[in-house]
Amino acid sequence: MEQVNKAISVKNLSFAYKGDYVLNGVNADIEMSKLTFILGKNGSGKSTFLRILAGLLPYQSGNVYILGNDNSKLSFAKRAKLIGFLGQQHKAVFPFTVEEVVLTGRAGYVNLIPKESDKQAAYNAIEKVGITHLQNRIYTELSGGEQQLVMIARVLAQNPKILLLDEPTSHLDFINQSHLLVLLKKLANEGLTIVAVLHDPNLAFLYGDDFLFVKDKQVIRSASNVDAWNVDFLRTIYHDKIETIPYNGRALLVPFLN
Amino acid sequence: MITKTKTLKILLYSLPIPAVLFSLFIGPSQMVTPAAIIDFFFNNSINSNLIKSVIIDVRLPRILLTFITGGALAVSGCSIQAIFRNPLTDPYILGLSSGAAFGAALALAFGFIPVQLSAFIFGLLAVGLSYLMARKNNNVSVVSLILSGIIVSGIFTALLTVIQYFSDPFKLQSIVHWTMGNLHNANWNKLQTSIIPITIGVFVLFIYRWRLNVLALGDDEARTAGINPDKDKLIILLAATLASSSAVAVAGIIGLYGLIVPHMVRMMIGPDNRQSIPLNFLFGGMFLLIIDNFSRTISGFEIPIGVFTMLLGAPFFIFLMKRTNILWNR
Repeated sequence: MEQVNKAISVKNLSFAYKGDYVLNGVNADIEMSKLTFILGKNGSGKSTFLRILAGLLPYQSGNVYILGNDNSKLSFAKRAKLIGFLGQQHKAVFPFTVEEVVLTGRAGYVNLIPKESDKQAAYNAIEKVGITHLQNRIYTELSGGEQQLVMIARVLAQNPKILLLDEPTSHLDFINQSHLLVLLKKLANEGLTIVAVLHDPNLAFLYGDDFLFVKDKQVIRSASNVDAWNVDFLRTIYHDKIETIPYNGRALLVPFLN
Repeated sequence: MITKTKTLKILLYSLPIPAVLFSLFIGPSQMVTPAAIIDFFFNNSINSNLIKSVIIDVRLPRILLTFITGGALAVSGCSIQAIFRNPLTDPYILGLSSGAAFGAALALAFGFIPVQLSAFIFGLLAVGLSYLMARKNNNVSVVSLILSGIIVSGIFTALLTVIQYFSDPFKLQSIVHWTMGNLHNANWNKLQTSIIPITIGVFVLFIYRWRLNVLALGDDEARTAGINPDKDKLIILLAATLASSSAVAVAGIIGLYGLIVPHMVRMMIGPDNRQSIPLNFLFGGMFLLIIDNFSRTISGFEIPIGVFTMLLGAPFFIFLMKRTNILWNR
């Protein structure tokens, strides 16, 4: 047991895909009860990093500690009680009701058939996300934004300490993106540790507590969170022709490419 | 809405028994009229030995065999659709039917092992081959599984043709009959050999019924929710293959049945497998019984049941294909 004051602690992690390193010697910590965003360009390895944290990808070397537990030694059921993961846009095939979808989040607790207490946990998650009105609707008939909320309720139903989200806003319109991030912020304030990969640094700066950047096979932090929106720093991450506009003590990014 | 589903459910649970009893009255024998059967149960009339033999030795085993065959195919189809997250799959697509048909033909042509046993072994072998061919880096993708199923089916169909080509007309006829579905020569022996593997397979699928809901949402979703999808899918695939290959071994090929019934059940009561696994068994059994009643009474001779289900099933399959968006990219 070590580093129990950190939600996630990554030590010297390397991951290669078909012989090419995607991540090489990564060290990173993720703070408890904060909303942390992972930023970076397309193909930089953000999703790979998140999937490693979720225990979905075996890595070549290094260690990942989840609340002090070695991630590679956790069983599926044990890991599910610590970490909840939501991948990019989920596609369902069968017309399950929202309640049935959320209940499947209890798989790590259920032996074969869910009990009344599992149904209660699913209902609590539905309530927490604020979608009780959708409870009996058919999941496949919902809008993209509603489906995303259902999937978040599903992850919350498994009652994790840490929530990992890959591009949770990618298929939502801009108002729904903000609704979702406000919800994440609220959940983090209530004590949940949330780590999300985001394409859009502006959304991240509006709602995030902490920021990690993936670049050149490394996961880096700005010198301080205030430096996260420092224009010189951001140019090294994204592109040398971006500008920042001050907003509310933070900054928004505008690309001026051509 | 909810009360409608509930009424349907009560109906589906209560209909099989009357359907079985009703089927006892149906058959080509002119002597064994419904009145005679009622008479048989209440009085001891002169014809009772004949009636007894028609009911006990002919109709009852056929009814029970038809019922468990239909139930096994439907439950297996439903489970396979859930684990492959594809509503257009069934055990036959993985090569089961062509493997079993080849096995049966081999036994019918050369006669060194029992037909049912040979059909069962080759049915299992075909699904196993499809599975192994599709396996890559400990991972079985739906697309490669279906493609390898097509290839395995192709190989066994080609081998079947070779056997048919070299068989004498009499053997050829029995091979063709077998592949069209052959519930008409049901007997207690066939029921005895198939009931144990079918019960085991269906029972495993029944206890895994909620897991099917979890697996139907996707591998990553299952894994991060705390179960091992690879292990569960293998167990479910084995159970479904055991049940359906035992059904095929004794009843021949009943085309498209395992694909269509799960859809009918889903349309009636929704996709929750906690409900639909038991109801697939009951409805699948009952519906095949009804089709079989038709196939043996609609004309002077028996129409093979496989022909019946195939002709009914094909338009329905096309309708489903047009209606459903299949996710081939997963």
